[in-house]
Amino acid sequence: MVSITSSRLVRGREARRAAPALERPGVAWAIPGLVFFILFAIVPMAGVVYLSLTRWDGLSTPQFTGLHNWWRFFSDGQILQSTLVTAVLLVGNILVQAPISILLGVWSAGYQRNRAVLSTIFFFPLLLSTAATAVMWRQLLDPNFGIPPKLADLLGGNTDLLGGQKGAIACLIVVTSWQFIPFHTLIYQGAARAIPLTLYQAAAIDGAGRVRQFFHITLPQLRNSIITSTTFMVVGGLTAFDIVLLLTNGGPGTDTSILPFAMYQTAFRTYDYGYASVIASFLLLLATGASLLLVKISGYDKMTSTMEGL
Amino acid sequence: MKNRMSRKRAVATLMASAALAMGVAGCGSAGSSASAPAGNVQFWTLQDPTNTVQQAAVDSFNSAAHGKVTMSVIATDGYKDKLRTAMGSSHMPGMFFNWGGGSLNDYVRAGKLAQLDPGLESHFLASALEAGKVGGKLVGIPCRGTQPVFLFYNKKVFTDAGVQPPKTWSDLTNLVQVFKGKGITPFAVAGNGTDSWGELMWIEYLVDRLAGPDLFKKIQAGDWSQWKDPAVLKTAQMVKQLVDSGAFGTKFGSVGYGAGGTSTLLAKGKAAMVLMGSWEYATQQSTNPTFAKQGLGYVPFPTVEGGKGDPGDVVGNPTNYISVTTAAAQQTAKDFLQTTYSDSYVQGLVQKGEVPVTANAGQMLAKASDPAYAQFQYDLVRKAPTFTQSWDQALGLTLGTPMITEIQKLFNGQDTPERFVSAVLALKK
Amino acid sequence: MRRRRNVVAGFAAFAWLLVIGVPLYALVNTAIQPESKYTDGGPVSIPSAVTLDNFRTVIHSGFLHYVWNTVLVAALTVAIVLLLGVPISYAVVRGRGWMTRGVFRLFLLGLAVPSQAVIIPLFLLINRLGLYDSLWGIALPTAAFALPVSVLVLSGGMRDISASLYEAMALDGARPARILVNLVIPLSRSSIATTCVFTALQAWNGFLFPLIMTQSNDTKLVPLGLYNFVSQYGGNVPALLAAVLMSAVPILIVYLFARRALVMGLMGAGGK
Repeated sequence: MVSITSSRLVRGREARRAAPALERPGVAWAIPGLVFFILFAIVPMAGVVYLSLTRWDGLSTPQFTGLHNWWRFFSDGQILQSTLVTAVLLVGNILVQAPISILLGVWSAGYQRNRAVLSTIFFFPLLLSTAATAVMWRQLLDPNFGIPPKLADLLGGNTDLLGGQKGAIACLIVVTSWQFIPFHTLIYQGAARAIPLTLYQAAAIDGAGRVRQFFHITLPQLRNSIITSTTFMVVGGLTAFDIVLLLTNGGPGTDTSILPFAMYQTAFRTYDYGYASVIASFLLLLATGASLLLVKISGYDKMTSTMEGL
Repeated sequence: MKNRMSRKRAVATLMASAALAMGVAGCGSAGSSASAPAGNVQFWTLQDPTNTVQQAAVDSFNSAAHGKVTMSVIATDGYKDKLRTAMGSSHMPGMFFNWGGGSLNDYVRAGKLAQLDPGLESHFLASALEAGKVGGKLVGIPCRGTQPVFLFYNKKVFTDAGVQPPKTWSDLTNLVQVFKGKGITPFAVAGNGTDSWGELMWIEYLVDRLAGPDLFKKIQAGDWSQWKDPAVLKTAQMVKQLVDSGAFGTKFGSVGYGAGGTSTLLAKGKAAMVLMGSWEYATQQSTNPTFAKQGLGYVPFPTVEGGKGDPGDVVGNPTNYISVTTAAAQQTAKDFLQTTYSDSYVQGLVQKGEVPVTANAGQMLAKASDPAYAQFQYDLVRKAPTFTQSWDQALGLTLGTPMITEIQKLFNGQDTPERFVSAVLALKK
Repeated sequence: MRRRRNVVAGFAAFAWLLVIGVPLYALVNTAIQPESKYTDGGPVSIPSAVTLDNFRTVIHSGFLHYVWNTVLVAALTVAIVLLLGVPISYAVVRGRGWMTRGVFRLFLLGLAVPSQAVIIPLFLLINRLGLYDSLWGIALPTAAFALPVSVLVLSGGMRDISASLYEAMALDGARPARILVNLVIPLSRSSIATTCVFTALQAWNGFLFPLIMTQSNDTKLVPLGLYNFVSQYGGNVPALLAAVLMSAVPILIVYLFARRALVMGLMGAGGK
């Protein structure tokens, strides 16, 4: 701090000699937010790692057990299943949501009247919170009084959608997509409108058709938005806890017990806070990896003003 | 100089936010009463149709006594999770509704519960007090009726089919074929992730009928290897046969308990029977009142041929309990507990269709809205040689939660009977 | 080239209309049916009778109070994020030196960190601060985890302010504080809007924090209220879905009155 101030002063003095002073805000401006972030985010992260080395039931005081929980973690078949399910949901969600929202976004970027009206309707799922969406769909998916009996033929007679692993995972992906595609569509709509029309005009002169234009102009121009949107999907996928709790409760059996849910269940239903912290640390590791990857791909860290995306 | 200014400014911002945070803290703690010394007791209870009786007791207590009891109503889903979380927090309730048994062990071990006056015991039936004790010490007082599990059936569906409710296991399997032939689901069961405790009831009864109550008593006492008993495997195989024969229909995995789920299926005649706790009556009463009055039949769980267990045994919740924590104003809590066997409280329970386990309940059952139903339960419990507490309650959540998950897998066909046994055995290492 | 009619796209859009519309129709349709009629026809039938009783049931259960709590938490969270996030971004964009750079990197690292992962220590912390079962116990951690994205969005917006504007103000002798108030904030309106929308939605959608950090009815938020309704009105599906519908009302109001800002804010999350 001191050194910065003095060097800044020196530089300031020099600057004053040459041109009018251009005073810059010091790091002190960031300190309140930094302290806040450290207290409520970084400290708890350290706490999770510490708790993962203890045995604790939430009532008495934690007992230090070293790496015991971690050894258990590496031989736990349930964790393997949870990790796989988390990955399947993550990839499935991206595969379903990304193409649909890109197409919808580009389509709704047009200024035609019917597109504007439909876009407004497409926006509606965003008004519902995740809990509301999940509660609604749980009723709609009821095998006796919901939509499945009406679509029995389409579903091949299997209306017990949440009763099997494939069906339950499919339901989770469909419901998540239903809720979040409108959000991603908006991202792409905004980005697609920002693509210079001259690019298309030039392509049209060259005789490029609609499909070619889409792949050679639209998609490359949307690159940053694709990164951003995918980031949101990844973060969402790693935190999609509420929808699992409300829609499947991890079931059937443990078939949709994704990592955040397994952690919640271990911590707040079976009160094994130490082991739950191991799962949490693992989640942190995955998330930090995702963050680093994202920062690398997107170039956010370059701090340039031309950066788009976010 | 200028830099100092900017830093000063930033510090001021920091101070402002710190002040904000402090004001916040003031706000936060002012609104709640954790362990107020002035004789106040926070009382947690369940969100169900019967808690109006408790509310009435609280109201009359508050209008008369020196202390004040505040009742918080918590949703049934997640009640135990929330309670546990709060018990480890600064907002521990002073009194709380619970199911007794294993769920209280941890709290006693952590020194969170107050030991209750043994003099209270004389006001209750002895069999109902057992699950309120931990290590011989009384920590829970009955506050509700007894809740045995038995078979409910739709009378009209049975009349139409010209059949009688099952008395034996072979009756039961025959009925499965009868109702399947008519396109009616023989048994409604809730198999979705949240409500699969309904499946546990089948396991509890079958194990009791096959092996008698001692098997589970040993498991509860800590001998987990008792799961290797052949009766457990036999039970799992019988469940598998039932599932495979279509006894529960094909889509129970997405069905929930209660209205919109099993209760509606039964009331609408889409299912013929449901194995459920005595509270099913109250659920039907609130959502399908006409059906509850005219169409709802009930019989004990059938006997199983060749089993060692007494056909009179029942499973379920012997009753619910109120426990007092160290956060409560002890005198107020002590005074309030006396209302749980007062005539007005017991009468209130009876009117709600409950069968209280107090010493004075016997003569009041005639005043129940459905005396026949009250008498049926009363006799069922009175004549039962053993009343086994629901396993998830008896074992506590740490073992109970994963056990129910394994049962769900058995019902869904994800696990074979053999794998079910080994999976449950692996739960306790 | 966009003037030609695109039949394929039109057809696909219509299909999507069904995907979005049918569940929404079922939602509204169920919420206005009497409980006794619901199981007769199912969610997508034409209602045989219409009632507002379900909404009355929901209102009587104290749902409006949950809505109010949620609005409060959202407002608090947005206020905290702006109060802290704007100065951070300002320092990050205009400051020089390894420290501001380090601050930025720290926040970048927190970008994808799920708040769920640290819920256990957070619970202890909130407990220790005496904030258990208070709205602040939800708002503070929600704000902390909304900060990384907010800093990214805000600093992105501030970077686009041309350097010559800063110099011009500095020529007038303006200090960093005045530059922030008179130049940076007015010119970052769109990224501030994005931050507001994004943070508010975060708070609005939050489920785990309310689930763990609160317990009483006084501090219940909408998502948790809905969760509890599932067991309370498990049977009364129309009332349950009426509650779902009502939970959308506050955002609907925002949407009706500030549609442009909301949509632009959400679009801004993806680029300019």
